Amino acid sequence: MEILKISENDFMSFLDKKIDEKAEKVIGVVKKGSHFVFNELESSDKLALDYDVTMLPPKKYFQPPKELLLKYKPGNPESYRAVNNCDPMAIVGIHYYDLAAIYMMDRAFSEGERDEHYMKKRDNSILVGLYPTKYFKYRFAKSVVRDQAYKVADLMMVKMNGDYVVEVVSEKGKDFIKGGNFIENTYTLQEIDDAKNKVKDDQKIPISVELIPDYLGKNHGHPVWEVFGEKCFSCGSCVLVCPTCYCFDVRDEVELNLEEGKRIRIWDGCMLEDFAVCADGHNFRKEKGQRFRHRIYRKGKHLPEKYHYFGCVGCGRCQYSCAADIAGPVKVIKYMEDNKQGGQNV
Amino acid sequence: MGSKPKVAFFDFACCEGCQLQIANLEEDVIGLTNLVDVVEFREILTGKAPEYDIAFIEGSITRKEDEERIKDIRERSKLLVAFGQCAVSGGINRLKNNRESLEDVKKEVYGDSYNMPHLDTFPTKGVDEVVKVDFHIPGCPIDKNEFLSVVKAIALGKAPSIPNYPVCIECKLRENECLFDLDQVCLGPLARAGCGAVCPSNGVPCDACRGTVDNPNQNAMHEILEKYNYTIDEIQRKINLFGVKPEVKK
Ligand code: SF4
Ligand code: SF4
Ligand code: SF4
Ligand code: SF4
Ligand code: SF4
Repeated sequence: MEILKISENDFMSFLDKKIDEKAEKVIGVVKKGSHFVFNELESSDKLALDYDVTMLPPKKYFQPPKELLLKYKPGNPESYRAVNNCDPMAIVGIHYYDLAAIYMMDRAFSEGERDEHYMKKRDNSILVGLYPTKYFKYRFAKSVVRDQAYKVADLMMVKMNGDYVVEVVSEKGKDFIKGGNFIENTYTLQEIDDAKNKVKDDQKIPISVELIPDYLGKNHGHPVWEVFGEKCFSCGSCVLVCPTCYCFDVRDEVELNLEEGKRIRIWDGCMLEDFAVCADGHNFRKEKGQRFRHRIYRKGKHLPEKYHYFGCVGCGRCQYSCAADIAGPVKVIKYMEDNKQGGQNV
Repeated sequence: MGSKPKVAFFDFACCEGCQLQIANLEEDVIGLTNLVDVVEFREILTGKAPEYDIAFIEGSITRKEDEERIKDIRERSKLLVAFGQCAVSGGINRLKNNRESLEDVKKEVYGDSYNMPHLDTFPTKGVDEVVKVDFHIPGCPIDKNEFLSVVKAIALGKAPSIPNYPVCIECKLRENECLFDLDQVCLGPLARAGCGAVCPSNGVPCDACRGTVDNPNQNAMHEILEKYNYTIDEIQRKINLFGVKPEVKK
């Protein structure tokens, strides 16, 4: 892997050039009030790469909250036409745990029946990663994420003193930086490694990630589900902000003239009360505790059993976003550890 | 439904703000009349019909005459839709139910004429406390587009879909900072979404003007208040504002 460097100022000029060229939308992290969000950049002035976490992960660009899938004329089966437009985009400043999450999303949307709406956006995107430079009190990524970030990143940046070290991960990344003042790297690998690890996580899952699927399986009847479920608003914030949650609902909307229809998909999530309601009105996860357990099982048991990785990247967004203060996997597992049931826990 | 469904609008105790939303549909009114046949609507036309496919009810029930009238409408209607928070839960009108003496409320509002027979009101009720309601359209006032989507769904023989999830979702989608973190009490975790979280997006806490979700978790609200050091009374006062039935339990 080629390693280059660029001064901070040159990097900003490079981005401004990219924005002017308009070959792709340039998206980056910007400040909103006292927190951060991903947004399209009009110039590099607004870019705020020194951030703790963004409110929503970059998944909003690949699986928009409301997305048009196709148009049709009601009652005419011949008339269905898929709509799948997307502009090329470059997203700058994605932390490694969010990249790991994109890797997981890619697997989910490409295996079996390929989801063309998602994949087209992914194929048209350049991902510029960044090692975090700022502490976030709920983050525990180090205890759960392995090397997945490099499977999707096109470039990885490490903040040094006045410079960025840039690891060129893919051919796409290499093309993207042509024309910028990226020069030969002069930092030692040790210096780069230290910079990558400079920001520590305070939080960590109290047991080894590999053991979690079994651990959860044995604790199906643990009181934590009910205790935490009782406090839950079923507000869905924890799944909405989660970079590895991808559930959606598909709906048809018909115009008032009843002659034109469109099919859309919108974000949905297993923590919402009506998520598991079937056509006959039966809700197979009626209780809040059941929904709470289901979500943790998705991250810590079902996904690991299917794909061999923990389905949570430790971004801490769910814990931060939960008004009831219960959603974080660290908090849940800590509670289970602190309240061991006679021989139930491993 | 083969021919266009016959639709009528009725108002009870309310400010008629919700009807106004419909009268303000502008070009969509034409689209609406393609879909349904409006046979009765005091705000925009005169006339009366004996039977209706869909009766839209605005306002809350506060008098004996209201009860008789709504029962009569119900009998003559195939479907009955309560629209606007007054009709759905009693709305702002329900505030008076929290007062100790209704007699005092009447004196305060109507002065010397408080004893006139047509002002003989009882505690405010939502429409479904008197007759069966098939669908509710929440909001104070209603959202025109939500109203249109309900009419479309009914005309197509489908169940209308009104969000049954809290405002927090729409707030998170807009990437707002949570107002609790800015030391404000927000009813977002209990309130029924559908408004796009307009209030918190403008820095104003949600008052649940569209009522709550079907099963709001009031006990959890209690815990939040403890966490942020608010009292039960403070939150209950907020919930009362829009006649939301559930209480925050101690
Ligand atoms: S964010 Fe918290 S309260 Fe909301 S659904 Fe998730 S766990 Fe429940
Ligand atoms: S479960 Fe929570 S901490 Fe884990 S990836 Fe999702 S939002 Fe982040
Ligand atoms: S719901 Fe609100 S706007 Fe509508 S009639 Fe009642 S008070 Fe007026
Ligand atoms: S500001 Fe209100 S609506 Fe928004 S997330 Fe916080 S509690 Fe929910
Ligand atoms: S945010 Fe709350 S109070 Fe404001 S419009 Fe929406 S439901 Fe009503």
